[in-house]
Amino acid sequence: MAISMMRSALLRNSLRSASKPSAPTRRGFSSSAHHDDAYEAAKWEKIAYLGAATCTILAIYNLSKGHPHYETPPEYPYLHIRNKEFPWGPNGLFEVKEDHH
Amino acid sequence: MIESQRHSYHLVDPSPWPISGSLGALATTVGGVMYMHSFQGGATLLSLGLLFILYTMFVWWRDVLRESTLEGHHTKVVQLGLRYGFILFIVSEVMFFFAFFWAFFHSSLAPTVEIGGIWPPKGIGVLDPWEIPFLNTLILLSSGAAVTWAHHAILAGKEKRAVYALAATVLLALVFTGFQGMEYYQAPFTISDSIYGSTFFLATGFHGFHVIIGTLFLIICGIRQYLGHLTKEHHVGFEAAAWYWHFVDVVWLFLFVSIYWWGGI
Repeated sequence: MAISMMRSALLRNSLRSASKPSAPTRRGFSSSAHHDDAYEAAKWEKIAYLGAATCTILAIYNLSKGHPHYETPPEYPYLHIRNKEFPWGPNGLFEVKEDHH
Repeated sequence: MIESQRHSYHLVDPSPWPISGSLGALATTVGGVMYMHSFQGGATLLSLGLLFILYTMFVWWRDVLRESTLEGHHTKVVQLGLRYGFILFIVSEVMFFFAFFWAFFHSSLAPTVEIGGIWPPKGIGVLDPWEIPFLNTLILLSSGAAVTWAHHAILAGKEKRAVYALAATVLLALVFTGFQGMEYYQAPFTISDSIYGSTFFLATGFHGFHVIIGTLFLIICGIRQYLGHLTKEHHVGFEAAAWYWHFVDVVWLFLFVSIYWWGGI
């Protein structure tokens, strides 16, 4: 009952607004007008700058902290798996980090 | 040519690039297998195949740009087809990453007794998600904002601003890749350290590879925007690059939440 009342109210409203074509349209679709894109561009430019500034601060903070040192784990059989030699040698291409341990 | 055409479809001319790309792929596959099994000439064939693929990509896309920008073959109907094609490509990419997430959750939700029955496996020192990974999340989100800025600048006809916006997007993308490289270098585990290392580097490595592809895509868009190839009404290449970039961004969010954060606790 309530739904049907609401529906008829909606219908009435839409009919009323449709019957008055002279009324100024205040609805702005984002892609319809040139002005809106300029506004959106400026808005997203600000958001991008804000993000970049936050990233810069966070990057400086992170880089100044230095990286943590990890303990060398026991030689579990599932670590440092070697089944056969690679064509270029015993280690993976990007695995030379023995000095880090 | 255009005057005599009575329909809006692009009937492409015969092109050598499909077969040259296929031969490149064949040489890369065979060469790759030969190289990994230490066959003589494997490395040569692999390099040749990769070179062939790179060459094919360059000339094929060069031809597409000529057909669209200089010859005007990309009508509204053709643009629609290109959009559908690119959306389907991204859907296939989603499935590609879905498989890696499946591997990750398969291994982490019920860790086997061989790795100590826990996740992360015993002896694996994980990366702090709130340091570089969180920073990288913000960097990618910011670059997503920058690419939206570029899109609206193109739509508003602000050509120069669009180039700046694309430069900002690319810069943030490069910083992301730089931090990811640093993180890889400093990571206490490698791809050969248990299923944790395997799934971690498979998923994040392929994501990083996609970031590099997306960055190249955006660089090309920036150059084309600078050259005046992209207009308010017609910029399918840019749209595809932006979609791809958002896709890469979303994949990172999933990687961050599941592998770095949830999988690192």
